Amino acid sequence: MKRITWMKFGIIITVLTLGAGTSSADGTFRYATVGEPPSLDQHVLTSDLATTIAHHMFEGLYTFNEANEPVPLLASGETISEDSKVITITLRDDVMFHNGQNMTSADVVASLNRWGEHGARGGLLYTNVESVEATGDYEVTITLKTPFGPWKNIMGFINGGPAIYPVSIMENAGKEPISPENYIGTGPYKFSEWQPNRHVELVKFDGYVSPEGAADGYAGMRVAEFDTLRFIPVPDVGTRVAGLKAGDYHYAESIPGDLYADLDADPDVRTILNGGPIFGLVFVNSKEGLLKDNFALRRAIQTAIDKVPALQVAIGPEGLWRANGSFLPEGNVWYSESGIENYSMGDSESARMMAEEAGYTGEPIKFMVSTNYSHHYDSAVVYTRQLLEAGFNIDLQVYDWATLIEKRAQPDQWDMFFTHHGFVPDPILITVMNENYPGWWSTEDKISLKSRFTEASDPAERQAIWSEIQGLIYEQVPTMKTGDIYTYNIASPGLNGLGEATLIWPHFWNVSN
Amino acid sequence: MLVYTFKRLLACIPTLLIASILVFLFIHLIPGDPVAILLGDAATPEDIAALTYEMGLDQPIWTQYLLWLGNVLQGDLGTSIFFHEPVLSVIADGAETSILLALMTMIWIVVFGIPIGILSATRHGSWVDQITSGGAMLFASIPTFWLGLYLILIFSVGLGWFPSSGFPSISDDGGLLNIRFLVLPSLTLAAPNAALIIRLVRASMLDVSREDHVRTAKAKGLHPMAVSLRHIFRNALIAVAAAFGFTFAALVSEAVVTETVFSLPGIGRLVVQSILRRDYPVIQGVILIIVVLYIIINLLVDLAYARLDPRVSLK
Repeated sequence: MKRITWMKFGIIITVLTLGAGTSSADGTFRYATVGEPPSLDQHVLTSDLATTIAHHMFEGLYTFNEANEPVPLLASGETISEDSKVITITLRDDVMFHNGQNMTSADVVASLNRWGEHGARGGLLYTNVESVEATGDYEVTITLKTPFGPWKNIMGFINGGPAIYPVSIMENAGKEPISPENYIGTGPYKFSEWQPNRHVELVKFDGYVSPEGAADGYAGMRVAEFDTLRFIPVPDVGTRVAGLKAGDYHYAESIPGDLYADLDADPDVRTILNGGPIFGLVFVNSKEGLLKDNFALRRAIQTAIDKVPALQVAIGPEGLWRANGSFLPEGNVWYSESGIENYSMGDSESARMMAEEAGYTGEPIKFMVSTNYSHHYDSAVVYTRQLLEAGFNIDLQVYDWATLIEKRAQPDQWDMFFTHHGFVPDPILITVMNENYPGWWSTEDKISLKSRFTEASDPAERQAIWSEIQGLIYEQVPTMKTGDIYTYNIASPGLNGLGEATLIWPHFWNVSN
Repeated sequence: MLVYTFKRLLACIPTLLIASILVFLFIHLIPGDPVAILLGDAATPEDIAALTYEMGLDQPIWTQYLLWLGNVLQGDLGTSIFFHEPVLSVIADGAETSILLALMTMIWIVVFGIPIGILSATRHGSWVDQITSGGAMLFASIPTFWLGLYLILIFSVGLGWFPSSGFPSISDDGGLLNIRFLVLPSLTLAAPNAALIIRLVRASMLDVSREDHVRTAKAKGLHPMAVSLRHIFRNALIAVAAAFGFTFAALVSEAVVTETVFSLPGIGRLVVQSILRRDYPVIQGVILIIVVLYIIINLLVDLAYARLDPRVSLK
C-alpha cells in the first residue's frame, strides 16, 4: 500500500515536470514586460509599452528609418504645394486591414480626424489644419492654415500618433481608448487576445503585404517570422532575468543598470541598448507660486545643480547615461549646444548669491517626485541635497505616480515636479513645447519662437530656430533636463535579426529563432 | 443547522453593505486619477477632463456609489477601466489562479505540516522535536520573495524541472498539466504556513495530552499511536481547523508577494495593481468578493467546529 502511494506521488511529480520549459518550439515569441499597458489604442495613449506591442498591429502613413528620417509606410509618396499649405498624400493600394478589407482614403481621413480631435498629439497638427479630404480612392489632401514644418515627423511617430484604423471603427470612436475587439490594423501581426495579468497575444496576419525595400529602421520589408508574439507581464526584475536564462522568455525589458556589467558578460544573455535615450525633466511651475515668472530665481536653482552625481546614483554604469545638456542626443539632427553651458554647473555659492539677488528669502519650494520610478526618486534626493546646500528651502513631497499626476494638474500644489520623457524625432513633440502640459510655459518669447519653428519648412532653418528655443529654455528654465538615460533590454542569444540596439521601441518582425 | 446557516447568511448583508461603503469611500478619497494614468504622461489637464466626463467619473461620489450598488444588486460589478472587460470576468480569471494556488499550497501544508507537527508533539523534548521545531522557525522566518527566487534559480534555471513564472489557465493549451506552473509558488507559500501549522499542531497536541481523558486512554493500555491520533490529535484538530480556514482565505487574497515573484495572475496582484492604477471598479469588486470569501470561510469554520466538537451546538 505504502509503495503504491509513493509510486503515485512519483508519477505526479514526473508528469508535473514534463515539458517544464515553455520555449518556442511552437513558434511563439515570449516577451517579458514590466507591466501591462492601459490600452493599445495608439491615437490617445503615449505609453511606450503600449507602442512596443501595438506597432506590430497598427501602422501609420509614415515611419522612421535608421537615420530617424520620416519615410512612407502606408503612403507611397506626397506632393506639397509651393506655399507649403497643401499636402497631397498618395496611398498604397495593396494594404489590407486585419478584417480583410482594403485600406482606402476613407479609412485614412476618418483615422486622421479622430486622432486630430481626440489624439494625444493630434492637436499639434490639427490646430493648423483647415481640411483633410479624400481626393481619390487612394489619395488624401491636407490643407493647412499656415505652413507646418514638422507635419511628417508628427505623422510618422506612432506613439500617440495617427495609426490607421478602418472607418467603421473610427465612426464611433471618441476620446476613450477603443476596446480590444476593435483592434484592427494593417500590421504584420493582428490582435488575438488579452488575458488580464496573463498576456497580450498577437498572431501572424497572413494577408499582410509588406512595404518594399530592404529593412531600414522601422521602414522597408516587414516579415512576421514567428507565428505568435506573446507579451507577458513579469513585474519582478529577478524573475524576468531568471525566466530568460531558463528559456521561458526570449526577451525581457527594463533591466536595472546595476545588473548591466554581469549580464553583458553572461554568454547566455544578450544585452541590447536602446539607441533613443529617455531623459529626466524637472518641470517648473509657470502658472502659480514663487517660481511663476521669477526667471532669475529659476536660474539660481539651475546653477546649484550638478547632474552627474544624480546620474551616477540613479542609473549606475557610465555606459548607460550621458550628462548631455542638448535636449536631443549627439549625432541627432536636432543636437544643439545652445545654452548647455548652464546645464550642470553645481555651483552652490554662485547659486546662493543669485537667489539673494532674485529676492529669495527662504520660502519653501514644493518639489514633487514619485517612487514608482526609482531613477526619479534617486535623482530628486540628490538634487534636494544640492539645493539645500545652496540655501534653498526644498520641501520634497514624495507620492505614488497616480497621486503625482493628479496633483501636478493643480497649479497651487507644487513648484517643481520630476518626470521623464521618451525619445522623440522632432522637438515639437517634447512636452515643454505644449502650453497645456503641467508647467504651462507660454511666455511671449516662447510662443513667438514656436510659431516660427512650426511654420518653417527648411530643415536647416528649423534646426537654427530649435537652437534658439533650447537657449531660451536655459534662460527661462521652464524645465531642467537631467541627462540622457540609455535603457537596455536582454534577449536570448539564439534570436536572429535583432540589431545591436533598438531605435525607440523594439520590433520583432524580421526576427526569428 | 440549516436555519443557523440561513441566519448567518442574512447577517452578512449589513457587513457587506458597510464594507462596500468603506471601500468605495476610501478608494475615491485617496488622491490619484485613473484617467490621467490611462492617458499617460503627455496628456494635458484638458484631455483628462474630457475623458473623465466621457466616462462619467465626474459625477458626485454618492451618485457613483448608488449607480454601482444598483448594478451590483443585478449581478453586474461594472467594467474595468483598464482591461475594458467586465470586472466579474477579470476577477474570475484571477480567482482561478488564486484558488488553485491556495489548494495546492494547502496540500503541501497538510502533507508536511500535520505529520511533522504530530511527530514533533509525540517526540516532545527529543532531538527530533528540536530539529523539527528549529526547522519550522527557520521556514517561518524566510522571506517568501527570497525563497521564491532561490527556488526559481535551482529548479527552473539550474535543473529546468519547472517553469520559472506565469500560469496559463487550465482551460488553455496544456490543460491540467498547467498546474506544474504552480508547483514552485505553492512550495514558496507553503513553507511559512506549514511551519506555523507544525507549531500549532505541536502546541495543541501538547495541551490536549495533559488532559484526563488522555491519561485514562493511556491507563487502559491503548497503543501510543492510537492515543496520539484518536485521542490527542482529534481534539487538537479543533484549533487547527480554524487556522486552516483563515490560512486558505489569506492564501487566496494576500499572496501578492509570491504572485509578483512568479508573475501569477492572481487576486492579490490584481488588487495591488488596480490600486496603483486607481481602477475603481476592479478594486471595489475584488474587495467585495474577498469580504464574501471571509464571511463564508468563517461560517464553514463554525460549522466544522460543531462537526469536530459535539459540545458545540449551533443555534
